[in-house]
Amino acid sequence: MTRTMDVLVVEDEMLLAMDIEAMIEDSGHRVLAEAASLQDVQALPDDLNPQLAFVDLHLAHNSTGFEVCSYIRQHWPDTLIIFVTANVSKIPADFSGAHGVIAKPFSHAGVVNAIKYLADGAFDPPPSIPRPASLVASPHLKTRWG
Amino acid sequence: MRQRDDWHLTDVLEYEHGRGDPFAAAVRATRMPMVITDPAQPDNPIVFCNVAFQRLTGYDREEIIGRNCRFLQGPDTDPAKIAEIREAVRDGHAVDVDLLNYRKDGTTFWNALYLSPVRDADGVVRFFFASQFDVTERVEAQNIINDQKLLVEREVERRTADLRAALEAKTLLLHEVDHRVKNNLTMIGSLLRLQVRTIDDPSIAAKLDSMLERVDALAVVHRQLYQSSDIARFDIGSFAENLISDVVGSSGRGDIDLDIKAQPLFVDAANASALGLILNEILTNAVKHAFADGRSGSLSLLVEGEEDHGIIKICDDGPGMPSSQRSRSIGTSLITRLARQANAEATWRDAKPGTCVTITFPKTEMRS
Repeated sequence: MTRTMDVLVVEDEMLLAMDIEAMIEDSGHRVLAEAASLQDVQALPDDLNPQLAFVDLHLAHNSTGFEVCSYIRQHWPDTLIIFVTANVSKIPADFSGAHGVIAKPFSHAGVVNAIKYLADGAFDPPPSIPRPASLVASPHLKTRWG
Repeated sequence: MRQRDDWHLTDVLEYEHGRGDPFAAAVRATRMPMVITDPAQPDNPIVFCNVAFQRLTGYDREEIIGRNCRFLQGPDTDPAKIAEIREAVRDGHAVDVDLLNYRKDGTTFWNALYLSPVRDADGVVRFFFASQFDVTERVEAQNIINDQKLLVEREVERRTADLRAALEAKTLLLHEVDHRVKNNLTMIGSLLRLQVRTIDDPSIAAKLDSMLERVDALAVVHRQLYQSSDIARFDIGSFAENLISDVVGSSGRGDIDLDIKAQPLFVDAANASALGLILNEILTNAVKHAFADGRSGSLSLLVEGEEDHGIIKICDDGPGMPSSQRSRSIGTSLITRLARQANAEATWRDAKPGTCVTITFPKTEMRS
């Protein structure tokens, strides 16, 4: 049985944030905090230690998921960062250090399976279940989990 | 006489007493304008010119002899070409240039000049021999062609730029529309999911769940289409494989064995949504009915491509469904009608145990 992950949701579309949070909680994990912009993420306490962050690319206050990604890597280096975006083509080959991407529009099954896979890998790497097609892994995730 | 002894010919051509010489006579009479200059004298003057040269330039013999050839040049003569000739004279080698020259009356002509040194036995340059040829018509024709070519090229460039700008505007617009479709599909899915969570009546919740699965299937079709490099074709084989893994994986049913034999199989993108919805109906129905009440079992997916059609076969080993019940469900009528729309055919077979659904549909041409 996988343990409970603490998850950070960075999404400026409130409907989608609510939906993703519900899927995280339905999967048995905890939503640590939600943020709609880089500024929101910077305002979070430093002792937060999320295992997983879902990050949209286009965020409020003209901030981007790439900026959030680099902030997370500086403050919580162990966090798995997964972009959730409709602009997959804007992600550079090295994913700016992030670990994967879920393309919008996502399906319930796609997100739930990705959460299951990531939780499995976060606590007992590498994951014992195959990676769902909805989650595209970055080179970092591949080196981290072999 | 051997080729390297040619210079003896002109050696014989003494300009003072060439009159009786047959070669000199030939040079005088030829239609090819010719001059000979003497580099030993100051400023390399013309010491001989034939009648053809006088006719070409409009000058009399007395006006020509003793002058340097440059008297034929004028304001529009290309300085680079003049430098080329000067260099050839200085270094004693041959030169071949098209030069704009001026006649006595001020009119111009294009002169195909060929200038070559004539050496004596010690290799010292004794004369320069120059033949001229009026190539005005050729050069002007070429100039006209070049001008026209330039005009056409400019026009093509301008129109190409226009087309490129139009294409960029269209592409931008398409991306914007595409982005809105993606965002709206994502929001519709999220809205439905949030609504399902508030419904207590399990039968209504189940209906809404089916609705959600259909929207999700459409979202996945759209996502796969926009992420593909080829927008005209849709890989229904990979779609089916991902869908069955997603549906069974997210159902939390570890007791359903999957047997997948899939391969990429391309269909016309116009039929992608219809075929995607059909597969979704069949798969979600199988999970819900064949493996109801926690019944374990196995579900198989077979994707096969024949010459001109594809086959997707989905079989479960559940209890099967009476055909009367099947015909009443919205799922079955969706499958039948969407199949007709996509030129596909769906058939049910009682596999005893279980049910097999086979969809046969036209493939798209493989493009090279």
